[in-house]
Amino acid sequence: MSRSIRAITATVAALLLATACNSAATGNSGNSPDGKGSPARGVTDKAIKVGGIVSMTTASGYSKKDTDLGAKARFDRANAEGGINGRKIDYLGAEDDGQDPARNLAAARKLVQQDKVFAIAPMSSVTFSGADFLQKQQVPTFGWGTIPSFCGPSYMYGMTGCLVPMPGGTISQQWPEGLKQVTHGSRGKTVAILANDNDAGTFAIRTYKQSFASAGYKVTFAKSSVPATSVPSDWSAYTKEILRSNGGKAPDIVVSVMQTPYNIGLFTAVKRTGYKGVLTDPTDYDPGLLAKSATKEALDGVHVLLTFAPFETKSADMDRFKADIKKASGGKDVPLNMHMMTGYMSADLFLAIAKKAGRDLTVASFQKAADGFSDTGTMVGDRSLPGGQKQAFGCGALVQLRNGAYHVSSPFKCYEPIPFK
Amino acid sequence: MSDLLAFVLSGLVSGALYALLATGLVLSYSASGLFNFAHGATAYLCALAFYELHSGLGWPAVPTALLLVCVVSPLLGWGLDRLMFRKLARVGETAQIVATIGLLVALPALGLWIVELLDDAGVPVKPAENQFGLPGIGPSPAKNWQLMDGVGIDSDQLITWVATAAVALGLWILMRHTTLGLRLRAAVDNRSLVELRGMSADRLSTVAWMLSSGLAGLAGVLATPLLGLSAHDFTLFLFVSATAAVLGRFASVPLAFAGGLGLGVLQNLVAGYASFAEGITGFRTAVPFLILFAGLLLLTRRQRTAGTAAVDAPPVDYLAGRSWMRTWGPWAAAAVLLAVAFYTVTTPFWSGILAQGLALSLVFVSFTVVTGLGAMVSLAQATFVTGAALVAGLLMSHGWPFIAAALVGTCVAALLGALVALPALRLGGRTLALATLALAFLADQVLFQIGWLRNGDTGWEIPRPVLGPVDLSDDRAMGVAMVVLCAAAVAALAALRNSPSGRAMLAVRSAPAAAMASGVSVVRTKLLLFTLSAGLAGFGGVMYASYNTRITATDFTAMTGLIWLAVVVAAGVRRPQFAVVAGLVYAIVPHVVADHVTSSVHLPVVLFGLAGLALANDPDGYCAALSVRRHRRRSAKPAQPWAVPEATVPAPRPAPAQGTPPVLELRGLHAGYDGAPVLHGVDLTVRPGEIVALLGPNGAGKSTTCRTAAGLLAPLAGQVYVAGRDATREGPVRRARAGVLLAPEGRGIFPALTIEENLTLHLPDKHAREAVYARFAGLAARRGVVAGALSGGEQQLLALAPLLQEPPRVLIADEPSLGLAPRIVDEVFGLLTELRDAGTGLLLVEEKATEILGVADTVAYLDRGRVAWCGPRADVRADRLTEAYLGLAATDEEEGVRP
Repeated sequence: MSRSIRAITATVAALLLATACNSAATGNSGNSPDGKGSPARGVTDKAIKVGGIVSMTTASGYSKKDTDLGAKARFDRANAEGGINGRKIDYLGAEDDGQDPARNLAAARKLVQQDKVFAIAPMSSVTFSGADFLQKQQVPTFGWGTIPSFCGPSYMYGMTGCLVPMPGGTISQQWPEGLKQVTHGSRGKTVAILANDNDAGTFAIRTYKQSFASAGYKVTFAKSSVPATSVPSDWSAYTKEILRSNGGKAPDIVVSVMQTPYNIGLFTAVKRTGYKGVLTDPTDYDPGLLAKSATKEALDGVHVLLTFAPFETKSADMDRFKADIKKASGGKDVPLNMHMMTGYMSADLFLAIAKKAGRDLTVASFQKAADGFSDTGTMVGDRSLPGGQKQAFGCGALVQLRNGAYHVSSPFKCYEPIPFK
Repeated sequence: MSDLLAFVLSGLVSGALYALLATGLVLSYSASGLFNFAHGATAYLCALAFYELHSGLGWPAVPTALLLVCVVSPLLGWGLDRLMFRKLARVGETAQIVATIGLLVALPALGLWIVELLDDAGVPVKPAENQFGLPGIGPSPAKNWQLMDGVGIDSDQLITWVATAAVALGLWILMRHTTLGLRLRAAVDNRSLVELRGMSADRLSTVAWMLSSGLAGLAGVLATPLLGLSAHDFTLFLFVSATAAVLGRFASVPLAFAGGLGLGVLQNLVAGYASFAEGITGFRTAVPFLILFAGLLLLTRRQRTAGTAAVDAPPVDYLAGRSWMRTWGPWAAAAVLLAVAFYTVTTPFWSGILAQGLALSLVFVSFTVVTGLGAMVSLAQATFVTGAALVAGLLMSHGWPFIAAALVGTCVAALLGALVALPALRLGGRTLALATLALAFLADQVLFQIGWLRNGDTGWEIPRPVLGPVDLSDDRAMGVAMVVLCAAAVAALAALRNSPSGRAMLAVRSAPAAAMASGVSVVRTKLLLFTLSAGLAGFGGVMYASYNTRITATDFTAMTGLIWLAVVVAAGVRRPQFAVVAGLVYAIVPHVVADHVTSSVHLPVVLFGLAGLALANDPDGYCAALSVRRHRRRSAKPAQPWAVPEATVPAPRPAPAQGTPPVLELRGLHAGYDGAPVLHGVDLTVRPGEIVALLGPNGAGKSTTCRTAAGLLAPLAGQVYVAGRDATREGPVRRARAGVLLAPEGRGIFPALTIEENLTLHLPDKHAREAVYARFAGLAARRGVVAGALSGGEQQLLALAPLLQEPPRVLIADEPSLGLAPRIVDEVFGLLTELRDAGTGLLLVEEKATEILGVADTVAYLDRGRVAWCGPRADVRADRLTEAYLGLAATDEEEGVRP
């Protein structure tokens, strides 16, 4: 045995020495991004290489794959219009991370180290373990800002800003402010908020309790008590508590901060008790839900919050969005969903900044253009940076599902945020 | 009060689904002895098929459901049984668990892949993603009836109840009132005895798998409106219903069924009244897993030797006797090459992937400790990884240096490991695996939800360490450092394995009782293994997190741990270097496949899952497959020389033929167990109406002769003739059908079946049974009593009594008088004599030579695997008998004792 230990020790020592020499000799140069010098990584005279990371296949049956289609639609239009400052966008399509952190990081590495992309747009997943790597490699990344990595790091851009309120930061108010339109003001109106029993649910309760209270509503119930891993088959335990929370009576508004399967169960149960108040949630804006009679009935009357302009809006931007999506999906009329909007507007923000950066496009010039970038009246409202890397753009609309169609119940508008305590 | 009623009523809905799944689990467990982790995946597959056929292709709901439940899912069960589970029933428990984990991911992927293919072919299927509020069998949306204030039911719930009740009734009738049900229960009770009674256990197991699969299909179709199309949710649902299977001790269908119903109600009650736990984030989420864990602890009977897989043959040690250079040389060379490659050939991308694979290898090596050395299946390794990395990250955010933080994190993981091990150690095999899984989920849902530990979704930053001149933020340096760490871990584990404590661990693994007797503390050894493995996983976790430069609480979930185990075991869990290979393969293969093989996301997952099929052939993993096979081929060669002495040493021949042709004839039989030869050319002849007594000292090969004659053991050479027909290649079932019955050592009865049922298995005819009762009044009075409750003598009578009604051609009885009182022995021998008079040829193996000599016609002495003497009873001399027992029979040959 001693012989083997000696041999191993010798090998280890030799290897460590080699590593040390190499590290000392080469320093960090092997890893240093190409962005500093020219030509910039992924940028040629004619094209800018862009990739995406999207969860497409998951064990939970939840997929954001249409994000890819949305981004493609936006890039296609940019190319049809002649590109950005004379360069076409070479969109490689999105890598599937399967909601797996390891695959998310591997996808980021592949796009940067193998495909040598200039930027990543879109990045939409529930996990973003590639964030630190992309930040270090100085890769501008655009996506849905529901992950903390979109709040702070200088190369990360949320398409509607940073959506995770940070202590000392702000909370955006589009939900309670929009609801005021529905309930005709907040005076004397009571709210019950229900979330999942996990850390995210607890955090959501903390945020929205403050948000609704500061808009003038009286929060009579706010609990994160619904099991987070499996949808309850029975909601009576929760509905009873909620519907008695307003001093034995039902509250005026029931707010759910949960995913669609939970909302279907909760709202069905609440409505079966004869509840006539306002039901609202932030996730169920999916025209696909209208296709099934069960979901159509369960969600009938529910006001859904969205942070972009509803597809029902009449505007030139929206018409162009619909035309682009149709074109990108080969001329077929595909049902629209929010993932397409995420991809589309992630790409849009990247294009807007790249355009501002001008013909001399490097990572440095891109970052310089992003700093202080602002525009107004887009499909996600008024965008401004670097503010959007600390807080949400704060715009939103409410749509109500009535008789098998969504109707705008509170038009798309931007609201002032409040400080997060 | 109406609250309570509502909770109970609606709790029965999930309860009914739990009951269906748990019943299926029990059936498949009893069929093949394995816990089917993929049971929920089968349910998912049916839900998916139902959705595509009903919603996509527009088939009517009820016929589609019937087609899926009664035809398609049983066919799936049949296929899986034939392809996989039948073989898996014969390998170790770890391989079984892992193969079903493989299926757990492969089956859903298979379904989605088929949908993808159909879609490409232009079939109007619907996308399976983002589907909510799916229709079930009933109307959609469901109709609702309000029974009283706050208590209502809807059509989906009603359908679930009615279907479940119908299944319960059907199962009860099948199991209690049909021959098939009786045989199934007998197979659960004693699989090998079922074969000896001429019933094909394989066919019964196929039936059980088809039933089990059908039940999963039913649960899938019924659960579609509730669970939607989430394979993940179906699997979680299955884990919860495992509690009910535990309640039925994996053997009782009615108990499991009732347990499922009760579980649903209990879960609802806890959710409704658990307001005391509001301060604990995640408590309500974790309720099902708390119940599972508590159920495992309370309901699992203490096993004779705790915490060990029941049957786990040691692997072939193909390295034995090789030099250090031949054993380790190739590995050392590979490590050096890999390290050099980082600075010469690999691109930055591949450097990163390799470094990632190596970091993961450190975690994987921990499986070699707990599963490889300890034979315990831990599904909580991901918990230790997350725990250690979170603690290290927390400390580093307070300014601790990397090394100190990593050390504390490692210690915390080791502590967690000890905490998991303490309650889990009294469990064994699949219950231990389930308990660690329950704890892993509990950790995910409660422990890692603690705000100050997880730091929200941001997690903690774990920068790469800088040690003096070595800066690991360079992927290449990280890779080399990982090579060094992996080499160190492998070397340390190899040294541990060869140390006294390592030998103690191996002793505990292969024979806990013997280890205890030699003064090795089983509990301490197992605790040590678990702690060590958890610490190693924790350290690996910190390194892996530092490769990622961040840890968040959701990076490594309990499900990740499941997949990891499958990956490691597929490569081979016995040697730490295989774990390193597993880590590298796991990191590299997906990229290679995506680049060069297929663009489908589902196909690689299907292929990964089917690696479980390979385990059925190579339970020691693919890394060792080649070496093991080469070793087997080489060690099979010495089998040849056995035949030589047979020719030179003239074996005494049996008494000359007495006219009637023999019913059983063994010619030059060679047999043994896995390279250990026992029989070296046995020749024996049994004629109708003759009792042949086979005598011999312990270890002479008497039981082996019986097993070979009955077909339980295939001979290496020689022939077995039944009534003049060569039956050498036939298994126990066909031999039994040909009329050769073996009454095995101990009692040849089914202890969990009643006396009546035991008799029915042999005598389907009621009159024949009545004849038995008429003769044995003792049995008649207690016909409804389970046979296990009878005394040893009564059990032996019960085993032999039905034979008198329909005498077999040959009865081989292995120690029929073992452990019986002298009075009973007389009775038993009386019955055997009666059988002989009815024309049966008997081969009796006995230790009590004096008694058997009273009934035997022919006597054969077996010595060291050969028949040393054989002749009529009259020729037996007392001194020869003594010599035979003292093992001196070989000297008889010189004295010319042959007749």
